[in-house]
Order: sequence, then structure tokens, then C-alpha cells
Amino acid sequence: MNTSNITRRHFFQDCAIGTGKIALASLLADSAYGATQSPNVAAPTHFQPKAKAVIHMFMAGAPSQLELFDNKPMLTKYEGKPLPPSIIGGQRYAFIRPDAAVLGPRYKFAKHGQCGAELSEMLPHLATVVDDIAIVKSCRTTQFNHAPAQIYMNTGFSQPGRPSMGSWITYGLGAETRDLPSFVVMSTGSGISGGAACWSSGFLPSVYSGTRFRNSGDPILNVSTPQGIESGTQRDTIELINAMNQRRLKLDGDGETATRIANYEMAYRLQSSAPELMDLSKEDEATLKMYGCDPKVPSFARACLLARRMVERGVRFINIYNEGWDAHSDVAGNVKKNCGITDQASAALIKDLKQRGLLDSTLVVWGGEFGRTPMVEASVSLGRSLGRDHHPQAFTMWMAGGGIKGGVTVGATDEMGFNIVEDETHVADLQATILHCLGIDHERLTFSKAGLDFKLTGVEPCHVIKQILA
Amino acid sequence: MTSRALILCLGLPATGLAVDFNRDVRPVLAQHCFKCHGMDDQGRKGKLRLDLREAATGKGKSGELAVVPGKPDASEVIKRVFSKDEDEVMPPPHTKTVLPESAKNILKAWIAEGANYEAHWAYVPPKQAPLPIAGMHPIDSFIQARLKQEGLKPSEEADKYTLVRRVYLDLTGLPPTPAEADAFVNDKSPDAYDKLVDSLLASKQYGERWARRWLDLARYADTNGFEKDRPRPIWPYRDWVVRALNEDMPFDQFSIKQLAGDMLPKATPDDLIATGFHRNTMLNEEGGIDPNEYRFYAMVDRVSVTGTAWMGLTMNCCQCHTHKYDPILHTDFYRTMALLNNADEPTYFIPTAEVEAQQKAQKEKMTKLEAELPGKFPGGKTAMESRFAGWVEGESRRASKWEVIKPTKMETTMPHLDQQADGFILGSGDISKSDVYDLSFKAPIKGVRALRIEVTSHSSLPNNGPGLTNYEGPIGGFFMSELQALQNGQRVKIARAEDTNEDEDDKINDSPATTAKAKAKAAAKAKKKNNAQATLDGEMSSGWQVLGGYGVQHAAVFHFEQPVDLTSGLDLKMLFEKHFACPLGHFRISVTTGEHAEAMGYPAEVEEALAAGDKSKHELLLHTFLENAEEMKQAAAPLLAARKNPARGQATLVMQERPASNPRSTHRYHRGEYLQPKEEVTPAVPAFLPSLPKGEAANRLTFAKWLFAPANPLTARVTVNRQWQAFFGRGIVKSLEDFGYQSDPPSHPELLDWLAVELVKQGWSMKKLHRLIVTSATYKQGSRITPELAQKDAENVLLARGPRFRLEAEIIRDSALKAAGVLSLKMGGPGVYPPQPASVTSEGTYGKVEWKVSEGEDHFRRSLYTFTKRTAPFAMATTFDAPTGESCLAKREVSNSPLQALTLLNDQMFMEAAQAMAKQVMAESKTDDERLQNIIRRAVTRPAAAEEMAMFKAFLQKQRERKVSDEALWADVSRAALNLDEAITHP
Repeated sequence: MNTSNITRRHFFQDCAIGTGKIALASLLADSAYGATQSPNVAAPTHFQPKAKAVIHMFMAGAPSQLELFDNKPMLTKYEGKPLPPSIIGGQRYAFIRPDAAVLGPRYKFAKHGQCGAELSEMLPHLATVVDDIAIVKSCRTTQFNHAPAQIYMNTGFSQPGRPSMGSWITYGLGAETRDLPSFVVMSTGSGISGGAACWSSGFLPSVYSGTRFRNSGDPILNVSTPQGIESGTQRDTIELINAMNQRRLKLDGDGETATRIANYEMAYRLQSSAPELMDLSKEDEATLKMYGCDPKVPSFARACLLARRMVERGVRFINIYNEGWDAHSDVAGNVKKNCGITDQASAALIKDLKQRGLLDSTLVVWGGEFGRTPMVEASVSLGRSLGRDHHPQAFTMWMAGGGIKGGVTVGATDEMGFNIVEDETHVADLQATILHCLGIDHERLTFSKAGLDFKLTGVEPCHVIKQILA
Repeated sequence: MTSRALILCLGLPATGLAVDFNRDVRPVLAQHCFKCHGMDDQGRKGKLRLDLREAATGKGKSGELAVVPGKPDASEVIKRVFSKDEDEVMPPPHTKTVLPESAKNILKAWIAEGANYEAHWAYVPPKQAPLPIAGMHPIDSFIQARLKQEGLKPSEEADKYTLVRRVYLDLTGLPPTPAEADAFVNDKSPDAYDKLVDSLLASKQYGERWARRWLDLARYADTNGFEKDRPRPIWPYRDWVVRALNEDMPFDQFSIKQLAGDMLPKATPDDLIATGFHRNTMLNEEGGIDPNEYRFYAMVDRVSVTGTAWMGLTMNCCQCHTHKYDPILHTDFYRTMALLNNADEPTYFIPTAEVEAQQKAQKEKMTKLEAELPGKFPGGKTAMESRFAGWVEGESRRASKWEVIKPTKMETTMPHLDQQADGFILGSGDISKSDVYDLSFKAPIKGVRALRIEVTSHSSLPNNGPGLTNYEGPIGGFFMSELQALQNGQRVKIARAEDTNEDEDDKINDSPATTAKAKAKAAAKAKKKNNAQATLDGEMSSGWQVLGGYGVQHAAVFHFEQPVDLTSGLDLKMLFEKHFACPLGHFRISVTTGEHAEAMGYPAEVEEALAAGDKSKHELLLHTFLENAEEMKQAAAPLLAARKNPARGQATLVMQERPASNPRSTHRYHRGEYLQPKEEVTPAVPAFLPSLPKGEAANRLTFAKWLFAPANPLTARVTVNRQWQAFFGRGIVKSLEDFGYQSDPPSHPELLDWLAVELVKQGWSMKKLHRLIVTSATYKQGSRITPELAQKDAENVLLARGPRFRLEAEIIRDSALKAAGVLSLKMGGPGVYPPQPASVTSEGTYGKVEWKVSEGEDHFRRSLYTFTKRTAPFAMATTFDAPTGESCLAKREVSNSPLQALTLLNDQMFMEAAQAMAKQVMAESKTDDERLQNIIRRAVTRPAAAEEMAMFKAFLQKQRERKVSDEALWADVSRAALNLDEAITHP
């Protein structure tokens, strides 16, 4: 169909060592994507992958690394004094002036695990799995506003219109399941600034868009049979449609009709596989307790548990958004509240995946779109105090599972937590690393569009974070 | 790519054609070589460029001759591409691109044949070649000549049901009703089809169908995009597009108005509305953004979209660097930007006769209300006169004599300030998050005790001002953080300040909508801190603010600690700083030597009359009294309310060229980065294209006209190609958005050029072009894909059959509504809200937006009118590949997914359609057979075959066994019919 598919097929065929479930291809002569290329089948990778699936816990709003991971006692010492302009450089801020005074960390830190990584007292649960995670304290982005920064983290570009990481990955790797979407997005919280652009397929075919799993109504839009129609009728209807379409296929010979027939079958399967996925009644008490999850109430914890169930069922890429970290005022309260929501479940997800033998093949990523300033945010007109503004120069993320070495900390910031002084890790480096764990060379996953060869990681050189690879 | 492959395998060796530079060689060079050996001086390797024959046949850095015409073996290029040596082979291994054998052989053959270069086909103006087969419809002549060459035959004409369905869908975006189809099928006159085409082209639905395609390019949406994604009024632009297409406005006029309607002589309201095209860029209103950064992105988008929509140029590549393949320089991008970059972006209230009548009525009403006021005074005339006299006496004592002073110098960080005759200063132009006004005064006044800043609304300002805030904050408001007075560089102490807007609500609050209580609390807290006094406290986050709106009139008075002598000059520095840009837009400075100055809250002329005891101003004072007196509160309320809400036309977003006094400069941005502006550039079109006409101003209007100049090789081709794609699912040039070196060569170059020239000859008439296409035998062919065609030409490049493809999202929904007999044909107006699950907009979007489903007719409007929210688009539309309006789209994807099946099967909207259809069918038809035929014909136009009837009857039988009610039963059948592949496929 498209030049792009040639590119992709070319690279994957020429370079693959092949681990995908090719057999599925024969089930589905998907003419829209070429006879051997369907979004519904797994494709070979560039090299041996460690991870098959990704769970990206997106801490939207941007958590304060200074209250969670990056302990800076110097900030306490200099609290109330501004940073010298030489440190700040030309950085632009959203709300504060560059000469705002610094604010000391609001929480105590302690060393944990065999690795001795430092975590704040707000992360007691993460502390119990700290030897399984790799912490990157030297993340950096180019964007200092939420929507562009979230879109940038997801798509490698600050404006809407490019494919998101989940889209690239499902485009590159295809699917492991035909009963559920391969790229799922869950969100619990006040709302995602970047909106649908965060899981858009951009210029990739729309089948690679993230599918929203929703908290109210159908988990997948329209996955329930309309009220008043019994399941037998639904089945009969699909059979009638498909029989009619079979007849049409014979008459007109259009491969799209064959694909449509297969999609009605898959839609029917989704109608049972989605509720089955959402049904947590078979999860034991200990598991629910570990996550801190009320199975009936949508929550971050429930989304984490669902993510594990999705991974078990072959879903490729899962985004869980927790919005609410935007601590312009009362950073202490904000961190406390959001850790209350996320800490236990994030750690439980690691433990649960591990105990089920899934952690080795599942890459878990945790972090926000940027960091928060060492300087305080306060504003009389906005009624703000003891907050922190957006800080693109340095923030912390952690990764665990497939392809990642546990108990490692990479990167460091200066004494004031303002700039990175060791192992600067750009957003593109994070993306390259995620692709790497999945067996994809970020430079070879490309799509030609409007005269350019697009990549998730963009045009600037970037690198895989080797120090955290298993 | 496939077409190139097709040409490679069909063309070269088999038919023994010579190598064609444009068709065969340039794509290879462009894709594999130009990146390092093209026109980009920065990226060039080995001092070799292969895009020019002179350079390619000369010596490279290695000293070898790259291309020796006629001698491939002596040519370094051939040696290198065939080399097995990792250090020698081209392209080098690190580029991770591999030159296919076929491409190597093309280069070899090309050099052997003399290494001729030709100009790129798209950059040479098109010419009409003679028809290859005389006496035939021109389109068929070209298509069939080619088919003959390839040994293929055209398919037979489609049956009449298919034809009527196809042409209805293509021209109006709606299927015919069974009756409409029958009218055509039963019309045995020879011109039945032509008559049908003419009637469809004349129908109002034509404009709606074709507007949707144009709006994809225009990246039209009803919200601003990004985090806040607030609604914006721009649907008048959408309706203008529909009207223009229905009127068959020539495409050149259609385009010129959209790009530069405001600059046309005697521009009409419609000409202004048309400029909404480039106002469809997104607007980031997130707290704390840099507005000029996002304005820059909008400009980048405008240049790219102009390149895509009219020129088929991938200008977007040149934001960051010179094009790697095409002859477009980095500077060309910014010079083109300069052509488009000199406009302000106001909200325009569309004047209509209706609005004028309303305004007139309102004026009369206010005059009447004013005249009635004295009569409403409690206690009658005597009471009023006595109270009035007392008021005048009291207020006269409070009033001071103020003298307006005009600056001798005005400097600002960014906005443009103009001194007006009435002493007011009017701001315009761009604004930033931290703006400083530096005003110098000198006046023969000594002993100045106080200084007053009056701020009033002005129609040129956003939301009428008095501030310049045009996004995020309270629109039209301002926020003065600090004010300083200086004499000879020394601070002049200001003892205190007061203002007249004590009871303004503070709405500057960036916290997302949480609880009303929390919001009110935050607002109350801020209000206490935000007043004129706060401009003196050295704290940037507090200040004096006034919210925008019509008829706003406020003032602040600043009291000097010591009398100031203005003969030795005075400087005023005002700082406007917040997390959004907030400078003042319309204000006047006056001073008084009086000792008891205060911010009185009356218009300046009232205070002046009071202070002067001016008897001639009796009327003015009386009315001021009546409108402000405590006992008149109730009586004056209607008048005050009427003043605040003037009748004005529907708002829409437009472009307005800046006045010559304040041109905007444009720079080149290194690597396309906003923070790296370099040298200023002058406006010009890309250098490789014909230049703008000499003697004309290099501006937007000249540029828009230049697109349609006879020498411009691109516009007509790009336009024709896009129309062709709409009918055939594939362009003659496959890449609708790219006519550059990397594009696929046209499948039928002579046809493309013939049509391009014809379009111009026919006065750029779209309807004529559409008629030409749909009356061709090529268009009317049956679309069956025979095994032979599937094998020889799977993509239907050669058009040996009619087009088949899944319908667009809007057409699918509109078809279902029309089939169900519930579609509303009401045209125009604000976006509507058809049913969709609440979670689409309530979850995951910032601020939880409620999708309030439209009732009545608006429930069933054409999809063109569905409200489009960028960050949470209408779910059904997205599922079927409709764009979100976040970027320009020349061609939609056509995907085929299980989510589409779920939508058609289970979505409430389609369920409602099925139920409505069942109701109508049950009323119209009696027997099972009649009802089934009725349903199938509504869904797919043609009657059902016996075999199909049997399938549906078996379904009926089964459901009857399930004891499904009759109504539900027929809804089930309707639902199945609406789900058929045929119901959503261009037949």
C-alpha cells in the first residue's frame, strides 16, 4: 500500500532473526497491509528481544523528583536564597521567575535494598522492590509545558501529529493476541493535558492507535451488545453479515471484504474477551490486597492489575496515566497524595509480574513528562505557596523488567538538583532504550511521509542507556 | 512505491524502453544519493553533487569522475554502487540503506545512454498533449491508450444501481434513496446519467461533501487544541467553504480569498471569513506557555500546509534544514513564511443586516431607557432635583482637575503603541509573558500630586480590551504587576494608589476546574491582593488587573509622596507579567496638581465637568447621577445591562494584514528551533520556482495570486490530482502531498497535464472538472476485481476497473442516517453533538468535558456539522480514519479494524438508525419480502438477490424462534444491513 510498509518490511525481512508468530499471517489475508503484513500478527524483530510487552506508568503532571528520588540536602541549606544566574542560564519557566528562591526537600530519604538506592519516605513500597528497578536520575526533556511535554515523551515531537511509542511498537512488532487490542491506554485522574495525541498513531495507519480502556460504560467503546439484543441474536447477526460479505467477496474479489469478515469475527471475540479481562473475581484476596485494589472501583491500582492481566493475554503496549502530579502549590501534600495512589500498586505490579514469571518479558517504565524546580513556586495572585514549577532540565524515571538490570542507578544532578552532571539521558534515549529492550533498533524503525523518513527518536543522535541493560 | 515497482517490472526490460531520467533515474538519485550529494551545501559529502549534470560529470573530492556520459565503467558512481568493499560502497553501510540491484542497473543504463538530465516533470508547466485516441472522452482516451499498451481491457460499465449509488456518494456524500435510485434506473432517455450528474452537482449536499475534503487540508476543528482545548468560533469559515463550493467559486478565487481575502480591494465580510483557513492552527493556552513560541509553530504549520495544499511541496522538511531531496532551501522556508507572517489575528464579528437592525433597535431602546430615567425617580421631579443638586455639590468637592499628558517617547519590549488624538494610547501587535512599557513625559506642569491611568475598552482589542491578553487569561484583560515613576533615573516615590474596580471578580486562576468552592476561595484570596496598590509592592505576582469586555472603563490613581515637577520630565515604567501575556491595550495618562485626587469611578468628562462646575454639562451630570444613585439601582439596571451587551454578529477567526506602521519581521531559525532566530529574511517564494511578479509588493496577496500564475507549474496539477484521488481512491500521482523528486511518478503523466491545463481553461471550475471525471467511461466501469486484475494491477493504477474503497467516516454515518430516513439536511451553524458514549470526552481529557447530546433535528445532522474537539475527537469518526484537525491531511488512511465492526454493530447512533429504519419500513411495506427488499435497498441501493433473500429469511426465522418482538426483529435486520461491507464501500 504505502512506501512505509515497504520500508518496514524491507528492514524487518532483511535484518530479522525472527521470533514472531508468523503462522497467524495465513489466517488473515489483510489486503490493506499486504498479504504478509497485518497489524494483527506478530512480526520479526531486528535482534533478540528481552521484552515482549511494555507497561508505561505515565505520571502525568510531572512528579517532584526532589521529593521522591533525587535527594538534595543543599537545597535545605540554601532554602530561601535564589540560585546564581550562572546555573539557571536562559531557561524559561511557566510560572516562576528564574530568580525564585530554592526550596529544600520536603521529605526524608533513606537507603534501601542491596543496591542501597536512596528513596524518599513517600515510597515505602517501591523500597521493597528497589533491587528490581533501574533508576535514571538524569532524564531531560526539551519541553516545559505539560501538553507538549507529554506529547513529546510519547511521540518524540512536541506537537500533535506523530505516532506514539505504542503505535510505533505495535507497528513494528505486530500483535501477540487477536482477542484484545495490542495497544491499550488507561487513565485515572483529572485528565491528560496532551489528550488523544498521546496515543495517536499519527501518520501510521489508524489501526495502530491506542485503544482507550474506559472507567465508565464499556471498557472498550461499544464492546457490549446494545441493550435489548440477546447474545444469540448478536451471534446470528454477525453470521448473517459475514455470510453476506462472503458472497460479496466471491462476486467482487476485494481483499478488503475478507479483512472485514475477519474483523467481525475479532469484534465478536472482543465482546467476550474484554469482559473476561475486566472480571477480577478470579483474582485472589492476596493479589487484590497487594495492589490495594477494590475490583469494582476504577483506580490506578486496578489499572495496574488489569495491565498484568493484559500482559498475560498478549497485549503489547499498555499506558497507565495517573494525572495529578502538577504541584505548583504545596508540593509536600501533592507528593503525599499521589504516592498514596501510586506507590503500592506500582511496586505490586513488579512483584506480581515477577511471581508469575512475567517480569523478564515485560518492560515496566515509570515517570512523568518533566521534573520540578529546585526553586519554590509561590504566587499571591494565584494563591500558591511552597510549590515547585516545571523543570525540563532534570528529572527521574525508573524502569524494570524485560531487558533491564535491577538495582542500578544511573545519572546524577548537581548539588542543587538543577542541572545534570552525569549521564544525561534525553527523552529520545529513553525511547531508544525501550525499543531496544523489545528487539528494535530505533534507527531502523522508520516511516516515509511527506519527503521525510520519520523515526520515533527523531533526527538528533541518541543512544540506548547501556548501563541499565541486563 | 508500488507503482514504481510496477513500472520497473512492466516497463524497462520488457518493452525495451530507454531509461527516462525523470521516471527512472531521479527517484533513485533522490532517494539514495541527494541526501549527501544534492543541493544542500551543509550536508554535502565528498564535494560531489549529483543533482546537476555539470557537477556530476566533474571531479569529486577523490579526483575521480563521478559520471562519465556513455561510459558507465569509467564512472566512479557505478564503481561505488556496485562495490562490495565496505569502505567504498555507496550508499555507505552506516546509512543503513541498501541500493536494490534494479536501481544500480538503472544508473548504469542511464550513464550508458549518455547520462542525460531532464527537468523534474512537476517543475515544468503542464501542456496539453493531443489525445492518444481521437474521438473519445479525453480521460478515456488517455486511460485506454495506456491499458492497450499494457495488454489490458477496460471493464464493462457498472450496472445502473451501482452507478447511481457511486455517483450519489461521490458528488453528495450520500447514497440515493430507493426512489431516487429508481428514478435514474427507470429513466431510459440517453442523457439520463448526464441529467443526474447535473442535478447532483447543483444540489446543496454537493458543497457539504466536498467541503469535508477541503477541511481535512485546512485542519479544521472547533477547539483550540493542546491542554485546555477550549471551543473556538470558526464554523462560519466552514460554512463559507460549503457556500463557495456550491456556488462553484473558481478554485483560484476560492484559494486567494482564503489566503488573503482581507487584502482584496473592498474586501467583503465573506472575504474576511475565508481567511479562517490559516486561523485553523492550534492555540496552546496551557498556563505558562510562551505565546510567541506557539505562534512560531503556527507559522511553521501555515507554511507547510500552504506547501501541501497548493504546491505539493514538502516545505515542512525545510523548517530545519535545506531539503535533502528537493530544490528547496532552508531560507526558502522562512522567506515564504515572511510572505504569510505580516497579519494580525483578530476575532471578527460578522456584520449582517440582521445584526445592524438589532443594533439599531438596541440603540433606540437605550435612548428610550435613558429618557425614561428621570421619570422613574422615587418621589418625582422635585425629589430628584434636590437630590441631584446635593450630589453635584458633594461630588464636585471630590473631583479634581486632571490634565492629559502625552508621552514624548514610548518604548516597549514587544507590543506596538500608537498615540491617539484623544490622548489615549492604543496597543497592538505581539505580546509576551513579561512586557515593559517605558513612557517618557515632559509637560509645563509643576507640583503634580497624583497621576491617573484611565483604561477603557476599544473595538480593535481582543474582547474589546482594555488589555491585550488574547489567550489563556481573561481575554481582553491586563495585569499590571509593577509601576515605577522615575526622574533622571531616580525613583520618584509613590505613597499609595487606588483604583475603581474594587468589585471585579478575579478569574485569573490556573487551577483546573475542581470544585466551585475551591475556585471561589482561590479567587477571593487573590482579589484582596490584586489592586493598584499592589503595583507598588515590588512583588511581581500581585498587581492591578482589569478583566476584558465591552464598555469597560476604569482608572487607577497614584499619589506622589512629594509634588513632582514635569518640566524636568518623568518616566513611567509599567511591568506586565504573569503566566500569560497581559499588557495594557488602551489607556491614557493624566496628572493633577490638586490635593485631594482620588479614583472616582466616573468617566473623565464627568469628573472634569464636576471639577469645573460646568453648567453646560447639566445633561451629562444628571444622567451620571441617575445611573449611579442608590435609589435608582433597580430602575437603571436594564439600561446598564443593555450597554454591556451590544448586539454583534457571529464571531469568527480571521487574518488582518498589519498596518504599514507596524510590520512584523521574519527571521531564519537555525535548525528550525524557536530559540535560535538568525538573520532577518525578506519575503519571497522558493528560489527554484518562478519569482513573484516584479513591481508587486511581496506580500500575502501577491503570493496567493502567484500560486495561480500561468508560469506556476504546480497548483493546477496538485489540485487536479487531489480531485482525481477522491473519485478513484488513488491519485495519478500517488503522493497527493508531495510532487517533489521523491514522489512517485504520475501513472498517467499526459492525462494529469491535460487535466491541469483543462482546469485552467475552464476557469478553475471544480464542478466542470468533477463532471468531466464522472462522465468518463473510466469512472463508470464496474469495480469487480478479477483474478487477472488482482494479479496484474492490484492497486488499480491503470484503471482497468472502477474504483472500490471503504467510504469515509462522515459518509458512513450520513449514509446510515439517510437510509434510516432520519438525516436532517439543515445546513450550517455551530457544531452539533450526535450521540456518543460519555466517556469519550469525560475521561482522559483535561478538565472533563461533558458531551451534551443534541436533541431534535441536530441529533441527525450531517457529520460535517459534528463538533470537532481536537483532544477528544468524535469517536466514530476517529475509528474510521477521520482526522483530528491537529495537522493538515491531504489523504486519509483507509483502515479496516475490529473497532469499526464494534462501532457499526453496537454504537447507539447506529442502533438508533436501525430502529428508525425498522419503523419506517414496517409502515411502508407489509410482507417479509417487501420489508427485506426495502431494508436492503435503503442500505445498499440495489435489490437483494434470491440467495441473499434466503439468508435474511433464515435470520428472520431464527429470531422469530427466539421470540424477538416484531419491532426489534426489523431493527435487527436493519442493523445487519447497515453493517454490510457493501453499505460502507464505494461500489
